[in-house]
Amino acid sequence: MARHMFRIILLGDSTVGKSSLLRRYTEGSFIPAPCPTVGVEFYSKMMELPPGIKVKLQLWDTAGQERFRCITRSFYRNAVGVLLVFDMTNRKSFEHIIEWYHEVASIQIMEKVIFLLIGHKSDLKSDCKISTEEAEGLAASLGIGFIETSAKSNTNVDLAFETLTNTIYEALKNKEIDLQEGWDGVKVIHKRTCNPQKKRRKPQEKCQC
Amino acid sequence: MAFGLIPILFPLSSLGQPPVELIRHREARWLEMTSHWEKAMARRYKKVLCRKGIPSSMRARCWPLLCGGQSSMDRNLGKYKELEQSPGDPQWLETIEKDIHRQFPFHEMFLSPEGHGQRGLMQLLKAYTVYRPHEGYCQAQGPVAAVLLMHMPAEQAFWCLVQISERYLPGYYSPEMEAVLLDGEVFVALLRRVCPKAYKHLQKHSVGPLLYVTEWFLCLYSRTLPFPTVLRIWDTFLSEGVKVLFRVGLVLVRLALGSSENLRDCTGVVETLEKLRSIPARLVLGEYGGVHITLAWGKMGDPGTGEGRRRYTGSLHGEKLGKGGRQSPWHGANLGP
Repeated sequence: MARHMFRIILLGDSTVGKSSLLRRYTEGSFIPAPCPTVGVEFYSKMMELPPGIKVKLQLWDTAGQERFRCITRSFYRNAVGVLLVFDMTNRKSFEHIIEWYHEVASIQIMEKVIFLLIGHKSDLKSDCKISTEEAEGLAASLGIGFIETSAKSNTNVDLAFETLTNTIYEALKNKEIDLQEGWDGVKVIHKRTCNPQKKRRKPQEKCQC
Repeated sequence: MAFGLIPILFPLSSLGQPPVELIRHREARWLEMTSHWEKAMARRYKKVLCRKGIPSSMRARCWPLLCGGQSSMDRNLGKYKELEQSPGDPQWLETIEKDIHRQFPFHEMFLSPEGHGQRGLMQLLKAYTVYRPHEGYCQAQGPVAAVLLMHMPAEQAFWCLVQISERYLPGYYSPEMEAVLLDGEVFVALLRRVCPKAYKHLQKHSVGPLLYVTEWFLCLYSRTLPFPTVLRIWDTFLSEGVKVLFRVGLVLVRLALGSSENLRDCTGVVETLEKLRSIPARLVLGEYGGVHITLAWGKMGDPGTGEGRRRYTGSLHGEKLGKGGRQSPWHGANLGP
């Protein structure tokens, strides 16, 4: 039985709610005002796809401020899935999605990266500045999916990650994504081929500092 | 309520106060020193005293003196008021505003949007963008400014932030953040020498330094370690400079990944980063909330982040950052003091 590992990265402007989305998904909690992400943070979660396929998701949260791109950029190339997140109450964050998309497209070495557009903070209906139709239009023009989510009211959060994971898995099955040596976006671990834990000669050995 | 932090949320923040007599003794000593600062700072024991920790009541006075913020302020009388009153670039204001309520939300000073903490932070960060329009605001300056504001009035805090951003960590908060990228590489090279076991492990799993040192260095550990420890690190950092950040980082990596026992649980990137993120506080907290890390001050020799770093930077001069790679000529350089 094979086990999969998918690396997924979240991109989008500052304060669109990338960290909250990830916290809701991995820890089931919601903090109203988390500290701004500095650099890159990571989370992980196991997911089981219907036919008993286990997938470990490596989820990378990134700082949204533009100047951090010099740090976060180096992580794009090793991702198989990208969640492009915007805040439905913030028009600018929506307009910047296209920039984020091209950022990845210009760096990614793989032919196929799976994107999903996320309209976040959908609970703030009255403040919404972007209609569902408009967001769907953008997603269609980029050839990607779109889901509205809210970490606060826990709406569609699981669905978003499941959709992305399923799409990646399907693409993998159809050989649209090929596994390359030295690329960490997808790993397939065959249990039988795994080395059993080697016995260390000196388990107590400390660093020579 | 120690350090203004709400105790239920920060159980460790009330730990580690030295006995009252010792506090009084140190206070008297520092007070005496501040009355003839130049002379006192020329003496050799300055480093030792700062490593022992500056008494809480004296930090407001001593940090600006130590980092040169006080003398910048004295040279630029009235400047801060002028910057504070300037309207500022609306784009920066918007960016700063989004972060203000997200800095230390569990500190009494920063609880309320109307409180003087949040308002002061807004003014201070805005003032910096007016003072250095090309540098602007970096999100990592928020927590640094907040810690400064917890200790001193806005004007002093502003000049300390200027010193930290320009003298101590030039290029850390700037639009290209080139110095952080560079120091990440330097850190790995030092780690290779100081703790080869952890170095090999990190290389094997391709865990680059930017995954863990970015927040440590940019926020000066203020979001990583127990608060008493953070303050002790800042005392030393302001007295000795950036090498303190490296040393603390090296000790943290060693605590997390220095033994085969610890490494056995780290089968991949995620597990390794998890280990680095969750170093038990008891390992870090030393005497009086200070740093076990002080153990490392002498032990590691001087990983030469002064001289070594300069040489490394020199070797990259003219090249595009990052291209120097890990095989830079700096590897062979003598790092010792």
